[in-house]
Amino acid sequence: MSFSGPTNYRREAAKAIRDKPEVRDSVTAATRTFDAHRVHAWGQIDADRWRDWARDVKTHVLTHLDEYLEQAERQLTSNGARVHWAESADDALTILGEIVREHGVKRVVKAKSMLSEELGVNRHLEGLGVHVRETDLGEYIIQLLDEPPSHIVGPAIHRSVDDCRKLFHERLGTPLDADPDELAAAARDALRAEFLAADLGISGANFLAADSGTIALIENEGNIRLSTSLPRVHVAFVGIEKIVPRLEDVSAFLQLTSRAATGQPIGNFVSLIQGPRRSDEVDGPEEVHVVLVDNGRTSLLADEAAWEALRCVRCGACLNICPVYRQTGGHPYGWTYSGPIGAIIAPGMLGLKEALPLPHASSLCGACVDVCPVRIPIPELLVHWREKAVEQGLTPRVETVGLKAYAKLARRPGLFSAAGAVLRRVPLGLGGRALPVLGGWMQERSAPKSSEKSFLQMWKEGIE
Amino acid sequence: MVRLLRHLGIDVEVPEGQTCCGQPAYNSGQPEEAQSMAEHTLEVFADAEYVVLPSGSCAGMMRCFYPGLVGSDARVTSLVERTYELSQFLRTVLEIDSLGSGLQGRRVAYHHGCHALRELGVKDEPVALLAGCGAEVVPWEADEECCGFGGLFSAKLPEVSAAMADRKIDTLPDVDFVTSTDGGCLLQLTGRGQKRGTGTEFVHLASALWRGVTR
Amino acid sequence: MSARDRILGRVREALREKDSVEHPGNFEGWRPKTPRSPVDGLVHLLEAAGGEVVHQPNLKAATSWLVTFCGDFDSSAVGESVPEALRPPVPVATPDIAPLGVSVARGAVAETGSLIMDARDGRRAQLLVPTHVVFLRVEHVYATLREALLDMSDDLPSAIGLHSGPSKSADIGQILVKGVHGPGRLVAVLIGGDE
Repeated sequence: MSFSGPTNYRREAAKAIRDKPEVRDSVTAATRTFDAHRVHAWGQIDADRWRDWARDVKTHVLTHLDEYLEQAERQLTSNGARVHWAESADDALTILGEIVREHGVKRVVKAKSMLSEELGVNRHLEGLGVHVRETDLGEYIIQLLDEPPSHIVGPAIHRSVDDCRKLFHERLGTPLDADPDELAAAARDALRAEFLAADLGISGANFLAADSGTIALIENEGNIRLSTSLPRVHVAFVGIEKIVPRLEDVSAFLQLTSRAATGQPIGNFVSLIQGPRRSDEVDGPEEVHVVLVDNGRTSLLADEAAWEALRCVRCGACLNICPVYRQTGGHPYGWTYSGPIGAIIAPGMLGLKEALPLPHASSLCGACVDVCPVRIPIPELLVHWREKAVEQGLTPRVETVGLKAYAKLARRPGLFSAAGAVLRRVPLGLGGRALPVLGGWMQERSAPKSSEKSFLQMWKEGIE
Repeated sequence: MVRLLRHLGIDVEVPEGQTCCGQPAYNSGQPEEAQSMAEHTLEVFADAEYVVLPSGSCAGMMRCFYPGLVGSDARVTSLVERTYELSQFLRTVLEIDSLGSGLQGRRVAYHHGCHALRELGVKDEPVALLAGCGAEVVPWEADEECCGFGGLFSAKLPEVSAAMADRKIDTLPDVDFVTSTDGGCLLQLTGRGQKRGTGTEFVHLASALWRGVTR
Repeated sequence: MSARDRILGRVREALREKDSVEHPGNFEGWRPKTPRSPVDGLVHLLEAAGGEVVHQPNLKAATSWLVTFCGDFDSSAVGESVPEALRPPVPVATPDIAPLGVSVARGAVAETGSLIMDARDGRRAQLLVPTHVVFLRVEHVYATLREALLDMSDDLPSAIGLHSGPSKSADIGQILVKGVHGPGRLVAVLIGGDE
């Protein structure tokens, strides 16, 4: 299933809250658990120093990105991998299509890759008559449900055990009261057959070390190791921002991302892939293709402020702490990347008009600032995009003109007081229909009780 | 707040020219309007020895964002250094431990407003002051989570905002009242609470502490 | 102009007005607050992740242990780098059907609790088997992942796997299940040391 775009965020969020309260419960429970694990894992180390270092390494890479991309390409090529460059999603899919055709690929296994969702890989492959199977258990579940992922790390956190019981009963024949271990065993059997029969494996990349030409992938299940080891061809889609200078830098990033995402010292399985199998190896893919993907990342890089968002390591910590995200999960955001990170990269990658109202889908509470492992200043960037929306005339005039009028009033204390007096006398139930701003308030809350006098009036009269 | 400060021997002035710190415009991406309001605010309070606000969000706006918005010359930096949210002022400047025992036996929940907590680093101060008046500040699972006010956010995305308020209200333990530093948060929680008919009392920290004063 | 040139061109254009930032150097702050010896650190984390750890003082003892262990298995896959003394005394089977796999780790990392698996040992035998036994000499336990990678960087195979416990997932309603895809049982046998 594809994404509908961010434009309808408010409507989709309202629908989700109204019609699927169980999603809010599931997501709240899952994200609180993830965050608790992160807190525990960060408590074991000097998290502040480590976050400063990670921020600085990523900033360094970004400001030398062209050099590192070239170095990575050289190294990967010398390792025997084939490197491709894709400017857009279409280009990436065309490259994939050529590889599929060249190798007569009929069956594909996929490791979880947010980039592959962003590019629309599955739909494209199905259009070419290729069977695609998601092998990450969470991705497998949502593939069977034909839903997009709801969270960067746990795609199916919006679904309960009971949902899985029903689903597996229908599709895999497990009993309706099967316990999670039975469900997992059924999935394992079904997917094992897929691994063994696949012609091609697709992955993303968590990091790409430029000095050794190494693709690093983190997981807990082992499906990424299997998807990148068993089929004779491996295609890795890598966003150009995933570059890290040295393999030894990757050693720290693997740990910091794991601790931030799930609270583990490291993911259960890590793949460090240099290229195709060597002559002295008994198995492994014969060909490894690395597709370096832009798809809007250079536009984000060009933004004078929001380029800092490219430091993101896709740990999901900001989603886990966000009180806005937690009410609905990821679907209402209408795009691959949801939550706070989605809101700040969408305007750069999709264009601001397409990305609205995501930069407004935040109360600017700042909780994400405490948890981002690479210290992206998310609230600052949300305000930055709001400013750009005003500059580009994308914000409703009712708001921009209203705030201008308010600011003028604020320089005239006498008038400001008078306006306040009027507001205190207007029955707010009626006012709600006249002023859209108040309408929004009145829909979900009781009208505030206005006091007889303003505070300044009381002061003038004397306070005992 | 005026009564509280006077009770502590502070000479309180309320400049009548004050209007708005500019935060709503700043957060909505209209920094010019925010700057204009900031400059007005700086003029109004220019001669104050201390500026005390019953609001974490306004104090946060002034302390954290004014230098970037208006420029960090001496006029601005000296003023923001003298600007405090109420509980911050009571603990840090006046070094108050206890105002009295007027809240003895009261069970109270404290809502940590986002600006006070994350911009100003105000966390222990309000709780210590409430406890210092004899209140039992009870544990609350969602106490540091955003209430969903966010200024214009509450009107632009009312459904999500209400769901955030519900999260706060649904996890609230049994208490005599809920208090916080910020009027906006209290407006949000009171409005949602009344709509749902919970009957919970939401009280501003200044009023709560005034109840705590033994007199 | 190729896609490559256009992408690099856009990157350079985007960076024109941005100040260059230097690499901050090696990360020195990474020490867990409760230090342990490398072997103890490795064992602690592997066991916490659900792995089993066995200590054998020498190769002979390890062989003996393996014979007993294999009593429950009728066949095994065997990694390419497994020495004669550590080959399981049961018929060899291919990894896709064998109930057991025996490997030798290239090393291990204490700070992450990871076994370092080399592709030259054979990836299938490390991944397809439900029970995975991994032999490792205690001298090959690195304190940090950084040291391990630096040491290996001149001799990297096509792929290194860091295995830090049995396969697991919490994707079914946030409940932990084991053995989804990778080995559901991991047994690390540390050879050497004082035991």
